[in-house]
Amino acid sequence: MNFKPVYRMLLRLFPQDYRLFFEAEMLDAFGRACEEQRASGRAAYSRFVCGELAGLALSLPVEWIAKLTTSGSTRARSLPDLRIMRPAGVRRELWFASARTPNAAMPDEIAEAEQHVQFCLRRMEQAIATHDFPGARFFSNEDLKAREKLRQLRLKYGLSG
Amino acid sequence: MVRHVEERHEADGKPLSEPVLLILASLAAGPRHGYALMKDIEAISNGRVRMSTGTLYGALRRLLEEQWIERFEQEDTSREKQAYRLTAEGRRQLEFEVERMKQLTRAASARLRTREA
Repeated sequence: MNFKPVYRMLLRLFPQDYRLFFEAEMLDAFGRACEEQRASGRAAYSRFVCGELAGLALSLPVEWIAKLTTSGSTRARSLPDLRIMRPAGVRRELWFASARTPNAAMPDEIAEAEQHVQFCLRRMEQAIATHDFPGARFFSNEDLKAREKLRQLRLKYGLSG
Repeated sequence: MVRHVEERHEADGKPLSEPVLLILASLAAGPRHGYALMKDIEAISNGRVRMSTGTLYGALRRLLEEQWIERFEQEDTSREKQAYRLTAEGRRQLEFEVERMKQLTRAASARLRTREA
């Protein structure tokens, strides 16, 4: 017997955002586990399905409680981080090819300037965290200089931003 | 064994729950998607823990909210699939927990030796 429709029906009772985040993955994982367990025999398959459906039923109130007691911004952390995800409409091959050579087209000078900006920023944050305010002022000034240098380099190479 | 976890884990210094610890341990070796996580957890617990999808994704949701793990798209899969990986904070929490467990084990072993002597 195919229990995927039952599983899908139970999933429909979960909060909508939870389903948006995980439904497709959960159905995929359940389907693959079902295939595997079916090969192990009827008893193993029955045990597996019972465990899965019971686990899902027990998760249901937990997820609703979490939904009602967690702020929207915290729950949104379950969404994929768009900075590391492939944008819609971009082909997989292109996206991963560019990821393998992320700065191939970027001059070394600009890459170094960007690293220097990050360095100044980190040191400024560390200085603030340790209440070293003269140090924080120093790295704040260095940060401004580094950003200005980066801006000029970008103009020099005709890069926007 | 199917486990269901209700307790809120950490961030406040409490021990990690077993599913959370197993997920972090599995991801410490490399990124994985949901089904691969289920299989790996079963393997690293010597078949003792078989996490249901409800438990697994509930724990993954909490870990994403804590920002101990993050989602990304895996390149080397034929199917369209997102995978999970540890963040620096997740790795730090796992290291902290492993250290805590080592300390407990040392203390318990010392007590056992005292008793035997």
